[in-house]
Amino acid sequence: MGVSMSYLPLTFLLPLLGTFILALSRGHMSERGSVWVGVSSVGLAALVTAFITIQFMSGDQSAQTLTLWTWISVGNFTPTIGLALDGLSITMLGIITGVGFLIHLFAAWYMRGEEGITRFFAYMNLFVFSMVLLVLGDNLMLLFLGWEGVGICSYLLIGYYYRDSANGAAAFKAFLITRIGDVFLAIGLFLIFAELGTLNIAAILEQAPAHWATGDSLVRWAALMFLGGALGKSAQLPLHTWLADAMAGPTPVSALIHAATMVTAGVYLIARMHGIFDLAPDVLHLVGVIGAATLLMAGFAALAQTDIKRILAYSTMSQIGYMFLALGVGAYDSAIFHLMTHAFFKALLFLSAGAVIVSCHHEQDMRKLGGLWRRLPLAYMGFIVGGAALSALPLVTAGFYSKDDILWQSLAADQKGLLLAGLVGALLTSLYTVRLIIGTFHGEMKSDHARNAEPGRGLQHGLPLILLAVLSTFIGAMIHPPLSGVLPASPGESTEAGHTALELIAAGTAIAGIALAAWLFLRKREALARLVSGGPGASLWTLWNQAWGFDLLFDRLLVRPFRILVFILRRDIIDALFGLVASITKGLNAGLTRTQTGRVRTYATSMVLGATVVLIFLAFGQ
Amino acid sequence: MLTSAHMMALTPVILVCATAVTVMLGIAWRRQHAATALVSILGLNLALVSLYLVYSAGDVSTPLLVFDRLSMLGMVLVLASTLACLTMSHAYLEGYPGRKEEFYLLMLCAAAGGMVLVASQHLATLFFGLELLSMPLYGMLAYTYRDKRSLESGIKYLVLSAAATAFLLFGMALLYSQSGRLDIAGLLAGLESSGGGAWALAGAGLMLVGLGFKLSIVPFHLWTPDVYQGGPGPAATFLATASKAAVFIVLLRIVMVAPAFHVEWLHTVLGGLALLTMIVGNLLALIQTNLKRLLGYSSIAHFGYLLVALVVADGLAVETAGIYLITYLMTTLGAFGVVTLLSSPYSGEDASALHHYRGLFWRRPYLAAVLTVCLLSLAGIPFTAGFIGKFYIVALGVEAGRWWLVGGIIAGSVIGLYYYLRVMVTLYLVEPGMRGRDAPDNWGMKAGGVVVLGLALLVIAFGVYPTPVIDWMSVLTSPVH
Repeated sequence: MGVSMSYLPLTFLLPLLGTFILALSRGHMSERGSVWVGVSSVGLAALVTAFITIQFMSGDQSAQTLTLWTWISVGNFTPTIGLALDGLSITMLGIITGVGFLIHLFAAWYMRGEEGITRFFAYMNLFVFSMVLLVLGDNLMLLFLGWEGVGICSYLLIGYYYRDSANGAAAFKAFLITRIGDVFLAIGLFLIFAELGTLNIAAILEQAPAHWATGDSLVRWAALMFLGGALGKSAQLPLHTWLADAMAGPTPVSALIHAATMVTAGVYLIARMHGIFDLAPDVLHLVGVIGAATLLMAGFAALAQTDIKRILAYSTMSQIGYMFLALGVGAYDSAIFHLMTHAFFKALLFLSAGAVIVSCHHEQDMRKLGGLWRRLPLAYMGFIVGGAALSALPLVTAGFYSKDDILWQSLAADQKGLLLAGLVGALLTSLYTVRLIIGTFHGEMKSDHARNAEPGRGLQHGLPLILLAVLSTFIGAMIHPPLSGVLPASPGESTEAGHTALELIAAGTAIAGIALAAWLFLRKREALARLVSGGPGASLWTLWNQAWGFDLLFDRLLVRPFRILVFILRRDIIDALFGLVASITKGLNAGLTRTQTGRVRTYATSMVLGATVVLIFLAFGQ
Repeated sequence: MLTSAHMMALTPVILVCATAVTVMLGIAWRRQHAATALVSILGLNLALVSLYLVYSAGDVSTPLLVFDRLSMLGMVLVLASTLACLTMSHAYLEGYPGRKEEFYLLMLCAAAGGMVLVASQHLATLFFGLELLSMPLYGMLAYTYRDKRSLESGIKYLVLSAAATAFLLFGMALLYSQSGRLDIAGLLAGLESSGGGAWALAGAGLMLVGLGFKLSIVPFHLWTPDVYQGGPGPAATFLATASKAAVFIVLLRIVMVAPAFHVEWLHTVLGGLALLTMIVGNLLALIQTNLKRLLGYSSIAHFGYLLVALVVADGLAVETAGIYLITYLMTTLGAFGVVTLLSSPYSGEDASALHHYRGLFWRRPYLAAVLTVCLLSLAGIPFTAGFIGKFYIVALGVEAGRWWLVGGIIAGSVIGLYYYLRVMVTLYLVEPGMRGRDAPDNWGMKAGGVVVLGLALLVIAFGVYPTPVIDWMSVLTSPVH
């Protein structure tokens, strides 16, 4: 046990303290003060994390636990408030506090002059608190607590501009859809507790192989339930429809919650519970298939968006699809590696988008932007570096190393179908990334907002962009998460056959995609516009623009039948039954209230009667 | 013989009595509100400190009083509750036009009575303690006598309490006639050797009626809402906390040391009363629109839950009862404290109608937050103290296999959730145009404000980190048998 563990609680207590200070100020705090409290609490947490990481890396890197206290202890139900620190949680912790701090700093620039900035930072700090708890908890109950906490913060921040009811609706949608996943996760927790009698993660992973044979139906159910929870949180098919609408929140929120941290919680959950998934190989395969389907679906959808934040949202879905694909082939550490690089470059892209949006007076439609590269050089740099990493430009970007690793692992696991989906996805990624950059920064300026763009200034604006840009290059890929010993070995560790060939193919795909996109969007612009303006091209555009019509499908398939059912059943017998409970309760209340006459003689009579009854009972008892 | 060890053990009680005398002499010499409050608070704090010293000195037993860990727990609870009530009285009485200082005198006397009661191991001290606890309460309840409701509340409590005392005395007489002893242990031993019999059982039943009245067990509960509503805020708070806690502790002591009363039928009757109490208490609160009455019904229901510990009366029962009592006390003190602060300083009837609280959050966010936390805790929501207490009670019922009681707790909690939430919603509604009674702007700077804020923090802290209290309980209550 090193000295580092005793400082560990600070990583979530500091943001919690920030929340308290901001919330208790009742909105009387100045903007400067709010920014100071909000940013410095996460900054200090990041410093503590750095300190702990250095100690951890210089030690033997073994997993450590810190049991703070036992919450309650009755029978064999003894949920502890305990923290576990290993390579996986320290990687997540670094992303949450490190990237989180940079985003908070950027938010200080982005949100300046906004109404309710104190509220904003209070929610953001609360989010960091919950997310850190999620990854540090040594038992599933604490994890679930963090899981719900980030859900509520996501809801609050999506609906931050609550005066527009559309934003409120988007927040509802995100909350309700992720809730479906949360119910599955809760059932999974109950199942694990009923079977193994513990919620401690280390104990579960240790006992599961002895308790269940591989492919046992109960362990498959447990894995399926966990998968359900992960799908909701990580916006994967079919619970993905909330993420694009979640872009209604301020852009730093999209960067922190809906790109870098919260949406990757599902990946973390599956990697953390790998012991359960390894016992259910068919469910694990399903994880990969869902990831592949999502990455393709979202890749096509991203091609046909015009809102720059929606393009990034679908791109996030698609990249998390890659992580699920990696999990599905058993390459847990590749998934976490991609999670990390993705956090860097997607945060960079979102923050750059935020810089564009603020500079262009909250215009985020690509059809009204254009030609900004000269006016907004720093944002342009961010988009170029982040976009290159997103489309996995060979050798110089972080995205290349992590994505190449995933493709290689799927080849090594002999999953040709998944590999093919990954390669097609890589091509799509290059296409929509180049379209996004060209549409935003090149060509003529298409509105006054773009023509009057004012570049951002100051440290708060520049520093996060530059640091994240550095991390998005090959420098970021040199950070190797210390995952050995935490997660099982990947399929690609035993062999090297075909790795170089695949690397070349993947690199070729990325470059070909970029070249194709550049040719299409720079040279063949009119032809493309003609193609989508009528005929089958237009239908395809609409289909992709609506992200394959899942919203419509769910509306027809679930929402409307449900409403019809509700309409039919509004006076059914079951309802009457529940109504009966309420009316009986009310009737009893009315009856009992009549005994409260206010007269002393009634009260005394009731005492005497009560005493008589007690005595009669006791006499009979003899 | 009174030895120095006995004197040592008696120090906390003596200190409280001495404070009462000091306050009385002080009033005779010169009336000064702030000084009186200060002296009272100082005296109680001194008693708490001396309690710690006595506790570390070990158990002391006299024929009349016993200073063991259970009585220490009882004294701590009585003293701490009295302290909170006293602090709130200061804010409350600030604007009272009549004489303010006697209220403290009465409360100090009542506290001394409660301390004697929890330490009693003789029917004489039990009776003496109970009456010393109750008599000042009549005065406290009727203290703001220009308000008709306050007077009514005092008289009602006086008449009905006297009736209950009659039951209690008759029960004691019956027990004495059967065993010839008045000290509780000897009395029970005597009963055991003579085989108990119907008269002894009847005596026990009548004593239960007398004590059950103080705990407002159904069907001896009817006085509760009227008295709570009419009495001044601090008096009602004292009645709901210090008084009930002391009576419950003594009942717990009798049940725990009484193998003779481990008659299945007595437990069944007790269980029936518990079930009735939790259901009826919650049902009565359902559509109540007066917050003080609602809290009264809520306290009825909570003592229904607490009775489960007496019904089971083995294993973890004492620990569970202690934990539940502590959570109940801090929560109830917080909730009543907010009501008291909003009615402070005194100017006529207390702010207890629910419409006074509409939109409270928008003008007094901290007070609304405190009340919210307390209501959540009363409802037993996780991460508040109330959840821990309720969890232990449910676990106790489950382990003892008393499924019908567990069912009652669950049904009661469901009903409870409805009316607690109803109050909470009111706090956050849009503020109506007109303003009713309101706390002064600087309430947070005053001692009363600090106390309610501290209580709310305690409720949350204990909900998240209950270990210290649980450990304390398991140590404190271990040798009682």
